Order: sequence, then structure tokens, then C-alpha cells
Amino acid sequence: LLLPAARWLVAGARPGRAALSTAPNPNKKRWLRAYLEQQRLQEPPRRRSEKPNWDYHAEIQAFCRRLHENFSLDLLKTAFVNSCYIESEEARRRQLGLDKEAVALHLQDNSRLSEQGRAFSRSYLTRCFEAAYPDLPAAGTRALVDFLTSQELVSYVAQNLSIQDLTLCRDFPVPPNVLQRTFFAVIGALLNSSGPEKTEIFVRDFFIPQLIGKDLFEMWEVINPMGLLVEELTKRNISAPEPRITRQLGASTVLPLYFVGLYCDKKIIAEGPGETLLAAEEEAARVALRKLYGYTENRRPWDYSKPKPALAAAKAVSSN
Amino acid sequence: RYIRQLQRLQLLLSPTSADSRGARQFVEEAAVDFARQHPDVVLYVSLRSGRAPVLLAEYLNGTVREELIANKTNEEIVQLATKLAGQSGLDIIRIRKPFHTDNPSIQGQWHPLTNKPSALTVQGPRLQPK
Repeated sequence: LLLPAARWLVAGARPGRAALSTAPNPNKKRWLRAYLEQQRLQEPPRRRSEKPNWDYHAEIQAFCRRLHENFSLDLLKTAFVNSCYIESEEARRRQLGLDKEAVALHLQDNSRLSEQGRAFSRSYLTRCFEAAYPDLPAAGTRALVDFLTSQELVSYVAQNLSIQDLTLCRDFPVPPNVLQRTFFAVIGALLNSSGPEKTEIFVRDFFIPQLIGKDLFEMWEVINPMGLLVEELTKRNISAPEPRITRQLGASTVLPLYFVGLYCDKKIIAEGPGETLLAAEEEAARVALRKLYGYTENRRPWDYSKPKPALAAAKAVSSN
Repeated sequence: RYIRQLQRLQLLLSPTSADSRGARQFVEEAAVDFARQHPDVVLYVSLRSGRAPVLLAEYLNGTVREELIANKTNEEIVQLATKLAGQSGLDIIRIRKPFHTDNPSIQGQWHPLTNKPSALTVQGPRLQPK
């Protein structure tokens, strides 16, 4: 840090006032750096656009190149504009006393694009899950799609794609629902610029990997797995499951462990552990449901290959 | 798809000091090529005198890394910039182990009940009628 030299000339007991430059007071400098660092850390967070070195157009172009997609730039710029931003800007301009024409911002909202993007991604994800897990009931696919389009997940993905820097919003740090809306608006803009196939690949690339490592019942809240299991088995014409204790350890201790197996027609369908008998039975029912729906941990990984041309040909034939 | 984690590079140099000579040469010769080769990184060049020349790298997860480029040659700065462009924004700390696996056990981790016969399964050949 270069501090102005003049301050240090006013010295304490120092002989020779005629000396032009004295050594800087060593005691004063030691805490200064720590103090400035503390001040820097205690500052309220500011938007990246308010910090030095920011070029909005260049950032948007880099954003397009980063995602390897061609967007039409004005659609993308509308996608980042939120309604709260427009209101706050107009209020600010009115406060500054500008006349009516200057106050009206000629900016479109991202609500329409956001709705389009949201509907498209939801329908595409539902189609994906119906194709990949045909045994999963509608409630299950709905729960999975809700999880994938939930606020936390979408705002996490959006933040790591630098959408927080590019959104125009009234508050900072941007609240997660605004981030979610903006991300869907970006998807809507992509839909309108590049067409549905590319947007499908985009949605697949960013949403499906969030399922990695997640268990079915972490995402889908099921209150009565045993009842659901009985329903599923009656649909497939299998008799009701009979729970039996397969193994047990430490029944009279503080931490007992029971393995309860579910048997249909004397054949085992699932086995689950638990601390109490009820917990073990519920866990066994959940394991059985996972096996029936095909969502076990050893299922085939997701198929990320390109969409087959047979589908495109089918679409062309149907349109003709 | 691969998304480059580097968002923007800010090159802060001084117009006159001697240690930012390499940085000035980089700006004159190699900066435009670097920007063309990495179209998803925004390169800002700004002048500030009286301070050491620095290359600030901002990543998508918010980390900002400052690298001093004082008394570095043009080529070294290019190498440094490409290195930063290939990094992710995770903190550079000691990695405790050089291996990681998501599937620590293929057939299932052993637990005390793995190979114990349960009460319900039928025992071996002795129980079959001869």
C-alpha cells in the first residue's frame, strides 16, 4: 500500500525538523492492512454489474458460447429482465423527476418466456421419465419432475451458470424464485431461438444429472409404502405380501436390528432392515417398491445418447 | 456438456512500470488470440498505475483468484492464462486422497448378517427326504 508520504512527516520526538523525509511510523502500518481487510469483508455484497470491469453485451455473448448454444441475443436479454427490476427502475426514474416518456422503460418482461420454458421443461421431463421408468405411477413422475424443477435445485444450477450476475433484479443477492424464473426464461428463449430438439438436449444435460446419487423416496414423499405396495401388487395380480422376520440382532438391547422380508406366494420380493419391527417392515415395503418401479441403485444409468432419427422420421410422417 | 468454469479474466496492468512489461506485450500481441481461442471467457484489460500487475480470474462458483504477473514474459502469461482457463473454481487445497469411488462396494458391503443363514430359509441336503 502506498500511503501518502506527507502524513508520516509529522513525527513524534524526532530530532531535526529540517529532515525532508522521515521513516514511516512502523507501528501505525501494522494494523492498517488488517483493518482494511476487515472493512472489505464487512461490506454488504454488491452486484457484479456494480463492480469495475463489466460489459453486459460481452458477458451475454460469453454466456451463449459457454453453453455451446446459439441464442438470439434480444430474446436472451428479455429473458434476464424481471418485473421487479422494471418497477424499481421506473420508481427510481420517477423519483429523479424525469418526465413520463423517459420514465417508461421499453423493456419486456420475462414472464411469458419463463412460463413457456417451465411448461416445456416439465413436459419434456415427464416424457423422459415415462419412457425410462414405465412402471412408475403418475404421482411418482410428478414428484420427480417437481423435485427437478424445485426452487433450490434450479436456483443452484442457475447460480453455478452465472445467471445471478446477468439477471436484472431489484434485490441482491437474487432470491431463489427469481433465479428459477430467470432460468426457465432462458430455456424459453432457447426454445424460441433454436427449436425444441436443441432445448430438449439442453434440459436433459442440465436437469437429469441432478438425479445422480438420489434415491427415489428422497424425492418422492410416500407416507404409507405398505399400502402403495399392496395396490401395486393387486394391479399385477400378485397376492398380498406377508412380512416375516428374516434376521434379528440384539432384540433386547438399545439398538436392535431387524431384517423383515416380504414374501408373496412364499417367494421373497424384498428385505429391509430397521431398528424396530415396524420400521423394518416399512423399509422392506420401500425396497419392494423400488424394485417394482425399476429405480434400484443397480439400474442401467441414464441414456444420454443422441435422440434417434427414427423419432424425427415419425414426427415428419405424422406432420405430413 | 463441458462448460468452462472460468467466467472472466481481468488484466490489471500499469502503463509505465517496468514489471508490467510482459503484461503490456501480452496485451499488444497475444491477448486478442487468447480471446479468440476462448470465446466463453470475457477478457477485461484495465490500467491502474502504482500497483503490481495482476491477473484476476473469476469462476462460475464465485471464487476469485489473483495471480501476480510482475516480471513475467509474454509467453509465461499466456501459459498462466490457459492454465487458469482450464481450472475449476474449487479451492486449491491439499487433496487428502488421490482416489475416490462412488461405488465402494459392488456386491454389497459386508455386515455381520451377510453370510448367516436366516431362520426361514430351508437348510441344506439333510432336510430333503431320501
